[in-house]
Amino acid sequence: MLVATGLVKRYGEIQALDGFTLSVAAGEIVGLLGHNGAGKTTFVEIVSHLIRQDGGTVTIDGKPPSAVRGQVGVAPQHLALYPSATVREHLELYGRLSGLRRAALSSAIDDLAVMLRLTDLMDRRAGKLSGGQQRRTQAATALVHRPALLLLDEPTAGADLETRQAMLDVVKQRAGEGAAVVYTTHYLPELTELQATIAVARDGRVIARGTYEELARDLPGEVRVTLEDEEEIRISTSDPAATLIDLLHRTDRPISSVDVRNASLDDLYRSLAVHDAP
Amino acid sequence: MLLDVSRPGPGRLGSLLGSAHRIGALARHNMTLRLRDPGQMISYVAMPMVLMLVLKPLYVRALDGGATQVATGLMVMFSVFAISLAGNAILSERTWRTWDRLRVTRAPAAELLVGKTLPLFVVMVAQQAILLVYGCLAIGLPVPSMPHLVFLAILIWAFALLAIGAALATLVRSHGELSVISDVGALTLSSLGGALVPLSLMPEWAQLAAHASPGYWALVMMQSAVAGDVAGTLRPAGVVLAIGLLSGVFAARRLARGWGRGGLL
Repeated sequence: MLVATGLVKRYGEIQALDGFTLSVAAGEIVGLLGHNGAGKTTFVEIVSHLIRQDGGTVTIDGKPPSAVRGQVGVAPQHLALYPSATVREHLELYGRLSGLRRAALSSAIDDLAVMLRLTDLMDRRAGKLSGGQQRRTQAATALVHRPALLLLDEPTAGADLETRQAMLDVVKQRAGEGAAVVYTTHYLPELTELQATIAVARDGRVIARGTYEELARDLPGEVRVTLEDEEEIRISTSDPAATLIDLLHRTDRPISSVDVRNASLDDLYRSLAVHDAP
Repeated sequence: MLLDVSRPGPGRLGSLLGSAHRIGALARHNMTLRLRDPGQMISYVAMPMVLMLVLKPLYVRALDGGATQVATGLMVMFSVFAISLAGNAILSERTWRTWDRLRVTRAPAAELLVGKTLPLFVVMVAQQAILLVYGCLAIGLPVPSMPHLVFLAILIWAFALLAIGAALATLVRSHGELSVISDVGALTLSSLGGALVPLSLMPEWAQLAAHASPGYWALVMMQSAVAGDVAGTLRPAGVVLAIGLLSGVFAARRLARGWGRGGLL
């Protein structure tokens, strides 16, 4: 569905993208991770046809982004709502701009209102909504025309639990229907819940891509043993279970607690995005 | 069912209908927003009405055709003030970040611009028409013998103001900056153009400088149109139209690039 190869983008002295390569298949959710400035938003803006790349190619279903304008659902990182327009008016505007009319528009709006828990807020102006409600409204404008490619740039930034759960539910549902989803976030547990393929961006390129299991395979876990005299033993190991058994055999001092931890998504993110060179 | 990105585009008629549908949606949305914030619009209609009434005796005693001068002069001056309506409406799209959000939709930049400015155009035409009708009813402005000529002049002037306002909105960095430029600019351009004092009473240098003011050409166009002078209307109308087209092309090019990191900033 989405294929980006070797994208390059420079803003003056800043190299925002430097050979950014990423593909997303229909029905796949790709969680795009990376620090601020890693190139995530620039990538989303190029795919949205808001800006042009200096080099490389990007195609959506084999076509350039300019040829599929409006057929991609985009929820930008920053809120982009009209303070004096109601939630319903936002959805009607973006639905109509996507070609939806009358019954189809009304049905799409009603469905989304239920899924994103906006039903009681439909006639409230966006400027009067809470941050989480505004996030859900913005996401709804990206989803109303049921696009085959969804670009969600930190859709849950600063959002409450209700918003986060509603957003994850609807993203899973759309991916289940066959939509390709690019989901950038700093909340790593969301990617576990979405069962997303993980892509880690750093310095304007994707340095790792795969499932959590694939990427975490060689990462060390940790065995932590606390003795009764409150001394703590911590061992970083690629096989926490075997290490624990070995440790229990070798120690003859009384033990008060044992904690075995496999590599987490946080460990994975830190190891790829922060420490290792690409 | 998901939207199919690989489906072929609509035919020529379908494309035109789609375009009209999108412009209609944008225009309706923008008219709703405008009507929810009517203060500026109302003040630009009510204030010149009051000023016309207050200044009418002075103008009528001091000038031949004083009623025409006070009615058309204040109409032109306050229509120039309305540039800030257009400027604010477009600049708000930047501060709300909604313009770039709209650029991601199926509507191309030209449709976005038409859908955004159509309601403003209607408001500006209505403002000028109301002030002229008021001028005829309450101030003693002669009833135009060729109303369609006056209407054409109003359309051209509204278009030019809208384009200048849109161009201004793409150049300024804040609402405060826009407010200063549009207010000072409106007063300077319209008074230099003869909206307050007839050109014949102004110093020679000012009479020369007036030709650089769109307000001058607008006033000549309006007064000629009210007098039913077709030839006298068309020349200034051409100048006003040219100013509008130049500003419009400039604004459209800037707005098509958006305000994102790859755009105007």
